[in-house]
Amino acid sequence: MGKKIKLEAIDLDAYYGDFHALKGINIAMEEKAVTAFIGPSGCGKSTFLRTFNRMNDYIEGFRVDGQILLDNKDIYQKNVRVDELRKEVGMVFQKPNPFPKSIYENVVYGLKIQGVKKKSVLDEAAETSLKRAALWDEVKDKLNKSALALSGGQQQRLCIARALAISPSVLLMDEPASALDPISTAKVEELIYELKNDYTIVIVTHNMQQAGRVSDYTAFFYMGELVEFNKTKTMFTSPKNERTQNYITGRFG
Amino acid sequence: MTNSDINRLKDKAFHIFGIFCTFIGLVVLAIFLFDIIIEGLGRINWDFLTSLPSRRASRAGILTAWVGTLWILVLTTVIAFPLGVSAGVYLEEYAKKSRINNFLEINIANLAGVPSIIYGLLGLEIFVRQMRLGGSLLAGALTLSLLILPIIIVTTREAIKAVPRSIRDGSYALGASKWQTVWNQVLPASFGGILTGIILALSRAVGEAAPLIVIGALAYVPFTPSSPMDEFTVLPIQIFNWTSRPQEAFLTNAAAAIIILLIITFMLNGIAVYLRNRQQKKIKW
Repeated sequence: MGKKIKLEAIDLDAYYGDFHALKGINIAMEEKAVTAFIGPSGCGKSTFLRTFNRMNDYIEGFRVDGQILLDNKDIYQKNVRVDELRKEVGMVFQKPNPFPKSIYENVVYGLKIQGVKKKSVLDEAAETSLKRAALWDEVKDKLNKSALALSGGQQQRLCIARALAISPSVLLMDEPASALDPISTAKVEELIYELKNDYTIVIVTHNMQQAGRVSDYTAFFYMGELVEFNKTKTMFTSPKNERTQNYITGRFG
Repeated sequence: MTNSDINRLKDKAFHIFGIFCTFIGLVVLAIFLFDIIIEGLGRINWDFLTSLPSRRASRAGILTAWVGTLWILVLTTVIAFPLGVSAGVYLEEYAKKSRINNFLEINIANLAGVPSIIYGLLGLEIFVRQMRLGGSLLAGALTLSLLILPIIIVTTREAIKAVPRSIRDGSYALGASKWQTVWNQVLPASFGGILTGIILALSRAVGEAAPLIVIGALAYVPFTPSSPMDEFTVLPIQIFNWTSRPQEAFLTNAAAAIIILLIITFMLNGIAVYLRNRQQKKIKW
């Protein structure tokens, strides 16, 4: 190891009202690596993912105890501005959610709300991000067409481009391929493999093979607890915990 | 007869009964329209639209009435649109679940059911007397704004609610504030629905006579209003006034004025339907 730690959770508990959703989580994730969160539905992996860009803040009754560190700074401190945090930590959702606007407007939205108005800057950001998301060649002639006219897989890559346009250092992906066909899935996975050269990626997935293919590290969650966290290869070949083994081999979940 | 025969018979009976029910409303409306058109269509000409009211039916026109209606329409829109949409946005996007907000919500729903004449009394006390606006266009528009605010708030909320959560999430995840998300994503996506609601609310306001009579709008106004502080009349009041006269000729005038009022309302409703269809075609989630 010896690499820099990018994201860290220390004794993290999270609650929805009375429901104890995450229990005493401790984890440290390496910079420019892909970490996969796996586990059965309702195990808290999506909730945990959303604590890294504080997307749970909008849910009434949600609260956290403990610390989430991004570059060693606690992002739940009072003086942290959520909009600044989200420039650093981008997110891609389960279902592609392009805005009902043009492809171009989708990509530059993040910059526009930061107040960037210069057309040359926006144009360049749009091109760079779309190229990084491996979508440029398919859409360069129809940037002003509605994003809703794209296929599901293209829409998801557009959402990735949109997240990249504000140059984050972390990319959170909440089951980014679960709504896509196998070919689009392969493209998104390929993309994740490319992107980890520059970004720290955390991906939630229900697909064991996918976790095995794209991730360097895997964390297994069960009933709000982090059961096991290790290098993906180690975890898939010789899991230490019996529950991990049962889940990975498909005996439950 | 077997059981299934009876069931089929019942089915058929209800089918016929349903058609009958549907037609009752339509037939009555058609007869009314037919009667009005026969009576009034011949009376509509350029002079009728451009003449001031008169004691002689043949010389009386509806200039002041339709100009007043137009004024009321514009003023009411200017007042009720920003208030209603803002309130709807607040309740749907900003308000947290609390007792006060619960109370507000229930009461807004109740307000939509309050008879319009009560709003007239409210307008009389607050706008005409306390604020000393008199029987002016402004007092009338404020009163009608109160009347249609609940409708606008409710339809705004419905339209905003129809915008999927995922669009808001996408915007927040890119660092947008709540206001930026509402302004850039939620409102544009729901604007068609909001507009439809506002137009339907206005078409209700255009047909109201009772609250305006209560605040003191006059039937006889010998001039067209030129500022919001002027006295005014509107088409429904003019119609009401003419129908209560004994002379046959005034009834013809009333029928002609009703046709004009109906044209205005149908036009508003037509625009609403057009906007709704366009919106449905444009955005599919």
